[in-house]
Parts: sequence; C-alpha cells; structure tokens
Amino acid sequence: MRGRVRLVAAALVLAAGVALAESSAWEAVWQSETAAALTSMVGRARTKAVQDGRERSATAVVQASAGKVRFDYEARGHRWSVIDDGGRLIQLDPRARTAVVLPRPSLAVDRALAERNYVARDAGEAVVAGRPTRIVEVAPRGKGPAARRLWLDRETSLPLKQERYNAEGRLTSATEYGEVEFGAPVPAETFAVPEGWTKVEPGGEGPRLGVQELSARMGFSVRVPRYVPEGYVLLGGYVQEWGRWGMRPAELRYTDGLRVLSVYERPRGEGPPGPGMGPGRGGRHRDRGGPGGRHRDDAGRGRRGRGDRGGRRGGRPGPPPQGGRRGPGFGPPGGEVMTLVDRGTEKALRYFGPELVVVVVGDVAADELVRVAKSVE
Amino acid sequence: MTCHRVQRQLAEYAVGGLRARARARVEEHVRECAECRMELAALVRTGMLVDALSPEDAPAGTWAAVHSDIAARKRVPVGQRLRWAWGMAAGAAALVALVVAAFMLWPLGLGEPQLVVAAEADQEMQATIEGHLSAVWAAPLSDEVAVGLRLAALEDDG
Repeated sequence: MRGRVRLVAAALVLAAGVALAESSAWEAVWQSETAAALTSMVGRARTKAVQDGRERSATAVVQASAGKVRFDYEARGHRWSVIDDGGRLIQLDPRARTAVVLPRPSLAVDRALAERNYVARDAGEAVVAGRPTRIVEVAPRGKGPAARRLWLDRETSLPLKQERYNAEGRLTSATEYGEVEFGAPVPAETFAVPEGWTKVEPGGEGPRLGVQELSARMGFSVRVPRYVPEGYVLLGGYVQEWGRWGMRPAELRYTDGLRVLSVYERPRGEGPPGPGMGPGRGGRHRDRGGPGGRHRDDAGRGRRGRGDRGGRRGGRPGPPPQGGRRGPGFGPPGGEVMTLVDRGTEKALRYFGPELVVVVVGDVAADELVRVAKSVE
Repeated sequence: MTCHRVQRQLAEYAVGGLRARARARVEEHVRECAECRMELAALVRTGMLVDALSPEDAPAGTWAAVHSDIAARKRVPVGQRLRWAWGMAAGAAALVALVVAAFMLWPLGLGEPQLVVAAEADQEMQATIEGHLSAVWAAPLSDEVAVGLRLAALEDDG
C-alpha cells in the first residue's frame, strides 16, 4: 500500500514538473514576442528559406526600436528593405526609389489557443552570436514533428536563431544572428519612407469584419467552410484590396494559434482583369498595363502578352502558363477545376465551385486544403 | 489524330478509362485543339454536376399512390401482369448495371474535380500566397527576417 502511494506521489510530482517546465517554456516564448517591442537593437542575420525545392538565402541588417523594426536585405547583389512600423508594412526598392505601403495585417496573439494546440519544451542551451541562449521547441500537441525551434537570448528573450518547419516536418526557413548589439541607438527616420521616393499604396486588407458584414461589403454571400483542420478557429473576415494585382477577394482567416489558414473567395466569373492592373511595385512591376499585362479567363489561366514579366527582367517572356505536372488521377489539361501549388513552405489550392472561386492557402496537407475548399459550397 | 476520333474517346478519357498510349495521344491533341478541349471540359463539368445532385424527397402522397397502383395491378389480367414483370425485370437489370458501373467508375474519380499540381503559381495564386504571407508576417513566432526574404522570392518568381 505504501509503495503504491509513493508511486502515485512520484507520478504526480513528475506530472507537475512537466507542466511547470512546459509553462516555463511557454513563458519564455511569449516573452520573446513582447521583447521586440521593448528592445532597441542592431544586428546582422543570415536567413534562408526553402521554397519550391530551392534554397534562397540573404543577409539582413536588422534595426529595432520601440516596436518598430527594419530589415535591410542583400542577396546576390540585390538589395531591398522592409519596415514594420507596427501599423504598416513598407517595402522599399532602392533601385526604383519606390516604397510600397501596405496596412500591417492584424493577428492578435491567442496564447490559450496556441497552448491548446501546441506544446513548448526546453531543448537545451547554446551560444548564438556570442550570447547564451535557451533552446525552446514548439510542436503540435500530441502529434507531429516540431513546428518551431527558437534560440532565445537569456538576457532579452529575443530569438537569436530560429527554425521553422512545415506541417510535414521539413525545414522551411532558418534565421541566425551572427552579431547583435542591444541598446544601440536607432534614429527615428530609419522607419520612415526616404524623402523623394515614390510612395505606392495599393490597398491591402481592411478592418476585421464578421461574415455578414464582409458579405455586405463584398456584394456577394461569403460562405464559411463547413470544415477546417482540427484546432483552427476563425479570426475574422477581411476585404482584401490588391490594387497591384487588380483583385478584391474576401478573406476568411483562421489560425491554430501559430499557423494561419487563409480562405479567399470571389464570385465565379469575376476573374482578375487583364491589362491595366493598377499600381505595382516600382522597379519590380510586372503588370503595368498595356501589352505587358496578362489576359486571364475565369479559370485563372493566363495568356501572356508581349513583355509580360517585364519590370526588372526587361520583358523577357516567361515560361508557358500553368506548366504543371498532373497530380494523381487524370483529367483535362489546364486545371480548370482544382489547382494546387506547393511551395514547400505553404500550399495554395484553387477550387472552382458552382458559384464561387475559392483559394485556400496554408501550411497544411494538400488533402486538408481540398476538404476545406470543397466544404465552402 | 483527328478531332472526330479524339471526340469518340473523350468520354472514356474523362473517366480515366483509356490506356496510357491512347491517353497520351488524346492529351497531345487536346493541348493543341481548343474545340476538343472545350468538349472535354464540358464532359468533366457534366460529371461534376451529376455528382453534385442531392437526393430529393418524394412529394407527399407518392407512397399512397404506389399502394393504390399495386392494388389496382393485382386486378389486371395475367398477360398484362407478365408484361409488367418483364418490364420490372429489365428495369432492375438496368439498375444493377448502373450500380455496377458506378462502383467501377467510382475509384476512377468520375464527377470528382481533378487536381492539377501546377509547377508555378499563376497570377491569382501568386497574389493569394503573397496576401497570406502578409498575415504570416504578423502571426505569433513569425520569423519576419525569413518572411521578408520569401516575399522577395515571390517577386522573383512572378
């Protein structure tokens, strides 16, 4: 009897220890989320992303102060910058001296949801950029490989190294600071559009809306999917104004606490327009109207005009549209009904329903995307 | 291959019934011929529409009508009853054939939208991925440094 009591007590202590350890790991994770807003720093990081089976990498100088952050990238002699000033995302193209200003999407941190769907655990210690860090691994609760690995600075909680894995457990991006200086002064103009630059505001997303209001704003009945993957909850609906693409879809955005699942809808028959797509991105413009535009039918298939993929590529004709390999099964070429693009990092699936065209984008398995898309109508 | 010959094979192609060589010949032709492509698309959509039909409830009073019809039939002469029996048997055989065909075709995906894995994103897909990445930027534990790189990579690909 006494032996059993000891066993139960030991199990309880062990369980409490595990819970405490997890709670401590989560605490460190959430501190890292808020640390950026409190810390002033300048650092240099190396980042890589595996996309479409290709690894792309760049160095980035990161400057942060009072919740604003600027990234100056360099890769293969090409430079560009991104500023996140808390309310806007500003993409700077120094060659065209153009700034594309977009409203920063809102995505409130739902800690309870994240902790319900994921588990955080300590995975050791390491030195990164000459500083001691605590390694925390975040993985789907009860199943699957790690989703994130974070090397959190012991002093500031900022992630000095991080790795991101997709739903299949493949590494999709990694960033590591080589040097970092905390408390370094960062001038306020670092986060402003440089004087004399062309500012382009192609739209972006509107405020968060309920489904009914979203339908009213869009002018068609937005349908809520009857199925979303386990753990995902609806964050809200958004009118997306993508002037540079000439598109205005409705978005229903879901999250499981860490990952995002976007469901875009537009009425069938309202495909993206052809030439004259509105403002683009300075030197990176692809669709500036005129002959360079891409003509498109409702199935989203493109017929490229002369000079398409212009901009900095100088109008070099691109590969044939929809050069796809056939998925499992069979069917007509052209993919009028369902198209899947798997970037490795996330997948996008377009489904032509009877009334709506639905595009689902997220880091989930392809069959889950199909289920979501087909449950919309 | 001529359009006439291809169009005779399209229905079989649409349900995956052709052998690899014939399928390749049809695909080669359809890639070039807009008319046959439209014909094929129409066949696939028809399959989808049929598949999308949902069962309807019979109107009220149907069963009562069936019962009274059966009662009336009991009173018809033997010859007429036999003709009825033959008709019923033929109907049942057709139904069985239909069910068997459905079972045979089901694994081939008749009526299911086919999935094409595109090697590159077209404009609409690209725009939605980019929009999605903006949301990913703002998500908890986002690696913004890497997301900024990926946004630029999308530009490259576009």
